[in-house]
Amino acid sequence: MRQGFFRRNATMLVVLGLIAVLGVIGWTTMGQQPFVRTTLSGLTIGALYFMVASGLTLIFGLMDVLNFAHGTMFMLGAYLGWQFYTNPTFLFGLFPLIFALLAGLVTSPILRSTFMSLKVSEKSQKSIQTVVALAGIALIVLAVRGLDILGLAKTAMVATMNMGNPLAEASAQEPLAIFWFRPVLMFIAGLLLATASARPGDRTQVVYASDKRQAWIISSSLLVLTVIATLLRESAPNAVLMWNGNLRFFAALAVGALCGAGLSAAVEVSLIRPLYVRPLYQVIVTLGLAYVLREIIQVLWDPLAYQMTRPPMFSQPGKAENILAWFSGQNLTVDVLGVTFPSYRLFIIVLGILMVIGLGVLMNYTRLGMIIRAGVQDRTMVEALGINVRKVFTIVFMLGAGLAALGGIGAAPFIPVQPNMGDAFQLQAFIVVVIGGMGSYSGAAIGALLLGLARAFGDYLALKFSLSPAIAEASTVIIMAIVLLVRPAGLFGKKE
Amino acid sequence: MAEAKLDLKTAPGRFKSAAQSLRSEWLGLAFILLLVLFPFLFGWFTGTSVQDGPSKFWQGQLITFFIMAVYAMSYDLLIGYTGILSFGHAAFFGGGAYAMGLFLTHAGPKIIGSYKITIGSADITEVLVLIAAILLVVIVVSLLGLLFSVVSARIKGVYFAMISLAMADAIHILSKATDFGKWTGADEGLHGVPVPLWINPTQHRLLFYFVALAFCVIMYLIARRLVDSPTGRVFVALRENESRVRMIGYNPVTYRTLAFVIAAVIAGLAGALFSLWNMGATPTMTSAVTTINALIMTILGGIGTLIGPILGAGLMQIVGQFFYQWFGARWPLVFGLIFIALVLFLPYGVIGTYRLKRLEWKHGWQRLWGLVTSKP
Repeated sequence: MRQGFFRRNATMLVVLGLIAVLGVIGWTTMGQQPFVRTTLSGLTIGALYFMVASGLTLIFGLMDVLNFAHGTMFMLGAYLGWQFYTNPTFLFGLFPLIFALLAGLVTSPILRSTFMSLKVSEKSQKSIQTVVALAGIALIVLAVRGLDILGLAKTAMVATMNMGNPLAEASAQEPLAIFWFRPVLMFIAGLLLATASARPGDRTQVVYASDKRQAWIISSSLLVLTVIATLLRESAPNAVLMWNGNLRFFAALAVGALCGAGLSAAVEVSLIRPLYVRPLYQVIVTLGLAYVLREIIQVLWDPLAYQMTRPPMFSQPGKAENILAWFSGQNLTVDVLGVTFPSYRLFIIVLGILMVIGLGVLMNYTRLGMIIRAGVQDRTMVEALGINVRKVFTIVFMLGAGLAALGGIGAAPFIPVQPNMGDAFQLQAFIVVVIGGMGSYSGAAIGALLLGLARAFGDYLALKFSLSPAIAEASTVIIMAIVLLVRPAGLFGKKE
Repeated sequence: MAEAKLDLKTAPGRFKSAAQSLRSEWLGLAFILLLVLFPFLFGWFTGTSVQDGPSKFWQGQLITFFIMAVYAMSYDLLIGYTGILSFGHAAFFGGGAYAMGLFLTHAGPKIIGSYKITIGSADITEVLVLIAAILLVVIVVSLLGLLFSVVSARIKGVYFAMISLAMADAIHILSKATDFGKWTGADEGLHGVPVPLWINPTQHRLLFYFVALAFCVIMYLIARRLVDSPTGRVFVALRENESRVRMIGYNPVTYRTLAFVIAAVIAGLAGALFSLWNMGATPTMTSAVTTINALIMTILGGIGTLIGPILGAGLMQIVGQFFYQWFGARWPLVFGLIFIALVLFLPYGVIGTYRLKRLEWKHGWQRLWGLVTSKP
């Protein structure tokens, strides 16, 4: 058993040992203060890397989809969280429409079973599908027409600029008497799109009773949400802004992650799923999606960089003597082993560690985690055992994007929120995934730790030799090259 | 083994006589002729001078189109023909641009200042400097291509896609690093590269137009020859089934390296010409956006064809110009949406779909024509 433990975790132990040895060398040569500071900033970056890389590695390991839009999810999460935190008018203004559309879309299994028995000749099936889908898209355009989305988007920008009173700028929205038709049209559009995806007349499909039941429940609850969101449209933003800043921040974390997850579920179903027959095009479509999402963000919020303010919990002036003192003082900085370190960054480290633990529990002790692990090992076998792998794919895609979006909001208070903020993280996450091995979340954790520390110490060394941090950034590629030369499948990857 | 090689060499479509190829390629020749005459026709129709005004503007658009067409074509040699999913193509393009720009900025003036090489009475120093720069570009870019292909020999598929992206990004970071700011201009990039006067794109736009056109045509012919050659057939075979290629007796690594170096050199030359045309090199040329543009052009026109990327580049450049007028600065959004729709519904691009459906459409037209004529 003891022998087995060492053999099984040999790589992990070797890597941790290597880090420890390097740490001791660093401690003795750099002195305590610089070493602690560099290590802590390395852990901060590593935590963010992990949030992006863990989703990426799971998605690739399970679905064989290389998601180039993952960094965009990080960026999107940052934007949505920033929106919610500074002025949620935009989000609340759009929620009714999105909920209505989704409520229509998820009825697909119900419609499938009803329209399956229609007598439609095989020739016209395809054209009916196209016509209905086009009608649905036209309805969406009609529903959104005239809605001042750009104006809604600008509200948060105004709020960031005059920090004193964000409520003053919460712009007026359309009255309910005019607005009501938009969610209704959206719902009908969703129904039409669901009809198109249900392929009326095609009797070769299978509809599970459980799917139908689920669709009923989800659709009706989404409809209720639509009604609530429509009614709360104007009052909710103000109410949220009246909340305590800390509560609003944690709500922003949740909202951003949920929005990211929801959006990526839509992406998986509409863009990735039809392309499983052409894997190359999956990669290409995610690239196109990243391109489009970035452009949309730039349309909404202009290609500028914004700074999200820190929640009050991490911004009281002064320095806490130790971490316990921070709990009462909620200061901007904390004294850690003689080093003054921003408390917010410590929070990011904690968030990262919580996520590693949470993901570990999910992967090792739940049924879903078991299915995911089995799917990474052998997808066909899992499918043969009667598990709906496609559904698991969607869940993993959501999970991954949700984690990335969460990382984005977490990063927003100390990294400028801008359209290309995800690119660097995505790239480093790729390197993390390659180092850690595809499909292994523990590999992603170790890889993120390695790369984060490497970045921080690289920056330190670059500064010492009066080079720019860019050199340190580029040198992470060298780490990747070394790991790949030793183990082409990554540290924890399955051997091919 | 020998038989298999013979098979590849006697592939159909080769050994055409001049008349035959003239007949089959008349559309392309007519298109080239149209492009040659374009500046004059445009000037004649609009009644403006060939040298300036709107004519000069559209010549500029077409120059960018020619260069981008070559760049997209080189990308398709990799992704479409050899089936290597590489996202580091901007490294070659930008590498070529930087090699050209750096040489002309830092070495060129010194050489011209201290040496004078003449043939008879003609001073050919500048020409020699330009040729030296082109040679340097070829060397630098082939080395880059070799670097990428060494990695691709060991790592396959999607892994390589990620690693190539990371490697290209390392080059992008270096290109905008402040450490080399003295030479490369860091974030700003190189500006005001001393391009030899006789080829200066602002003063001799028309000449530059013809140079770019000739470059595009020559590169197309080279690529065409390569693709039709036995080597090109091996490239396609590599895409379809690598283990079978190895069984037949070809070394996949050699051919992949060859494909990489050729694609890199073509892309690098395109980049070098682009840096002459812009009289500068900026970090954008090495960034991932440049790679994605190549991908979009290739997919738009049709992957696995040579005409496709050219057409895609044309659409992106010329249609993009109109999109810019209609939709403002955020026109790439429209382009991206079209791109996604294409990937979903027309995965073989414009040319690929045309080739797939050609016969179908032809029959359709014939039937329609038959209906029209048989019903007097």
